[in-house]
Amino acid sequence: MSSAFADIAFGGLFQGSLYAMMAVGLALVWTTIGVFNFSHGVLMMLGAYVAWQLIEIGLPAWAAFPLAIVAMGGVGWLLQASVVRPLIGRPNIVLVVVITTLAAGSLIENGALTVWGPRSKQLPSLIAGNTTIGGVGVSLHQIAIIVITPVILGALWLFLNRTRLGLAMRAVAQNEDASHLVGLNVTALYGLAFGIAASLAGLAGIFIGGYRFMSPVMGSDPLLKALIVVVFGGISSVSGPIFAAYLIGFFEAACNYYFGLYWTPTLLFAVLILILMVRPEGIFASRSRGLA
Amino acid sequence: MSNPILSIEGVTAGYGRVTVLRDITLEAGRFGNVGLFGPNGHGKTTLLRVVSGLLKPQSGRVVFDGVDIAGESARSIVARGLIHVPQGNRLFPDLSIGDCMALGAFSPHARPHEEENREKVVKLFPKLAERWRQKVRTLSGGERQMVSIGTALMSHPRLLILDEPTLGLAPKIKDELCASVLEISRGGVPLIVVEQDIEFLLELSQQLYLIDHGAVSTEIKPGEKSLGHEEIMSMYFGH
Amino acid sequence: MTDAVAPAIPTRAVPVSPGRTPWKHEAIGFAIALLVLALLPLFIGDTYSRHVLIMVFIYAVVASNWDLSLGYGGVFNFGHLALFGIGVYAYSLLTKLVGLDPWLALFAGGVIATVAAVLVTIPILRLKGIYIILVTFGFAQLVMQIVISQSAITGGTQGLVRVPGLYWFDHNMIRDGKFAYFYIALGLLVASTIFLRVFVRSRLGAGVVALRDNEEYAISRGMSLVRQRMITLAASAFFTGMAGAFYAAYQRNASVDVFGMSLATIILSMVLLGGASTIYGAIIASFVLTVFGEAMADFGAWRPMITALLIIVVMLVYPSGLVGMIRAGWGAIAVRMKRTA
Repeated sequence: MSSAFADIAFGGLFQGSLYAMMAVGLALVWTTIGVFNFSHGVLMMLGAYVAWQLIEIGLPAWAAFPLAIVAMGGVGWLLQASVVRPLIGRPNIVLVVVITTLAAGSLIENGALTVWGPRSKQLPSLIAGNTTIGGVGVSLHQIAIIVITPVILGALWLFLNRTRLGLAMRAVAQNEDASHLVGLNVTALYGLAFGIAASLAGLAGIFIGGYRFMSPVMGSDPLLKALIVVVFGGISSVSGPIFAAYLIGFFEAACNYYFGLYWTPTLLFAVLILILMVRPEGIFASRSRGLA
Repeated sequence: MSNPILSIEGVTAGYGRVTVLRDITLEAGRFGNVGLFGPNGHGKTTLLRVVSGLLKPQSGRVVFDGVDIAGESARSIVARGLIHVPQGNRLFPDLSIGDCMALGAFSPHARPHEEENREKVVKLFPKLAERWRQKVRTLSGGERQMVSIGTALMSHPRLLILDEPTLGLAPKIKDELCASVLEISRGGVPLIVVEQDIEFLLELSQQLYLIDHGAVSTEIKPGEKSLGHEEIMSMYFGH
Repeated sequence: MTDAVAPAIPTRAVPVSPGRTPWKHEAIGFAIALLVLALLPLFIGDTYSRHVLIMVFIYAVVASNWDLSLGYGGVFNFGHLALFGIGVYAYSLLTKLVGLDPWLALFAGGVIATVAAVLVTIPILRLKGIYIILVTFGFAQLVMQIVISQSAITGGTQGLVRVPGLYWFDHNMIRDGKFAYFYIALGLLVASTIFLRVFVRSRLGAGVVALRDNEEYAISRGMSLVRQRMITLAASAFFTGMAGAFYAAYQRNASVDVFGMSLATIILSMVLLGGASTIYGAIIASFVLTVFGEAMADFGAWRPMITALLIIVVMLVYPSGLVGMIRAGWGAIAVRMKRTA
């Protein structure tokens, strides 16, 4: 019994942390700009590969990881400037951005395939080694993910709620015209939101690359997971999806334990669709879009 | 008298293929506050959007304080001290009053005056101080309008543009708001006000423009004509 | 910005109101295009080119039917490829496990996809814009997960092989240089296109467009959102499902790749590149994109990158897609001709 509890608790925390990290950037972009970035998964892949490349040229992991995350911020900015910003103001922007970000994702994915080849690679763990907690064997890398994720999410919360720049980002999410009229640089804030989102995607990629083999197509599954989390949590805030991520993590862990890996995805989707039929705006959603 | 602080010279503007403003020309600041009125959908709001940089004019000049600002970004126009309070007080529903005030002072030119402006706003609208941490969406219509105007004051305006500030407000609240707006004007900030409530407009402004079909159809300067309610109503419906 | 999720896709340059081009003109154009396509195998002898054309026809059916729900209906159905996938698996399972006649199974693929579309409509009836994207996307994932998890029947990620193909009396379908499959695919495209054009030009189609463009008004005029949405999605599903079934018969296998993002991306680009709510646009774009993709086969890994870049550029420069581009180009030529005249 105690083993069941430890299994589910640890599995839930680990999966939940991963999902939260995958989804938070997607939610940030949706709430500020009102578009879905379908290249978010590809950005996770790119973050992992950039980190791998930096280590390959001789950088230690503690320098390579932060550097890769910063570089991803730049990639996010560029992506926003090239395939999102020119479309702002178009009536069918949601749909067109889906296709431009998908295409940009395909471009990056195939670029990665050309540069790094299809052979799978692996990143070093955040912390090497294994341990046992409550009778469950776990890797320190997983523990590190469980610890780092809340720290990063907390920092993001502080940034959004306790700094003037964060305030400006929340404002842009609520009313674009009014943001112009108080003198906000709306374009730069959009770029910043995309940049932060891409950095967070990069970090998620480094998390993944540390315990699974990396390949240029590794981003599509996390993108799906992130989308599910965001839908489930409600697309009107950043905190909703974070709660949802952990909830889904625990749900999956419990399903895995009681019904086995085989049924978990089907059960999860069935529950998801049921919930959306009852509460189409997601379970943690408020009425309007906004960052919090 | 003095030079106009804002002059709009032959501005043509619109959305897509639809032209809303046709070669419109008017001035503000020479005779005190300016009131704009006229039927809905004839370009008042569009004119304000051009002035504050939300909409780029197709042609014409917008001269603020001697500089042509037509086509400049909204941000740099805000930095010049030309502040526009848009219609409908829907500002930022999920921000608190305090957040909105901090946002008003976002522009670098307003930042040094943040303290003094905040005191001004609190003195003008004591109600806001009581609800400082409350979200805008939970406020009444009148209070939300106070937040909108307060936010604009935080931007350290040299010219304040109000677009239908009394829209949907009860008469008693209108009077209160009118007193506060007059107070702002007495404090040395000239105003441009768009308003449907003629009494309100007459009380606030010295110079009136009737805007019709995207152009000025009548201009009333102080002393030229008597500004009576009757005449203005007949201008609305008279032709 | 809260209104950013407009359910409508206005396309000013394109006549979407039914009956603007006279029936006769459209029928003549249609007949000429059909004749050209039908004669193609006489000039194109090699099997590979015929294969490419068959793929064009399949993609064109899927893309143009997607255009019905996405472009005309304004329903952001991101589960459209799942309907195609349902056709693939319905055909494969019915022929392989149940032993149903392939032609009946082809038809059944369309019917089952239609039923599935009606089922998906239920959760999205009251939803708008982005929520529809997310729920239909979830539906597609659900279908894929079911297929993967029920591997005892569906073959899971391995897929199904040796799916029975179609037959034509004693004709050898395999060694005829894809002659028969070419005409079946063309027949499918023709039937689907006639169906779509008749649908969008009908009163029913006009109602769908009205509902897309002004929901409140259309409802106040007595239209039923629920009924129209269901009809639009069901109508877009039938030939999509049949195309899936045909695809399975032609490839003689079924794989979960049909549910993947990459195929969805390609087909969606066809719809949007073609210019939403044109039907013909999606068909032309299927042709252009597929042939373009094949023509660049020599570029290897660069091929998908060039395609992606092309899609981005067209979307940025011509928001109404290839049709907008053709119109713009045509307009420029017309202006020049007038000047010289």
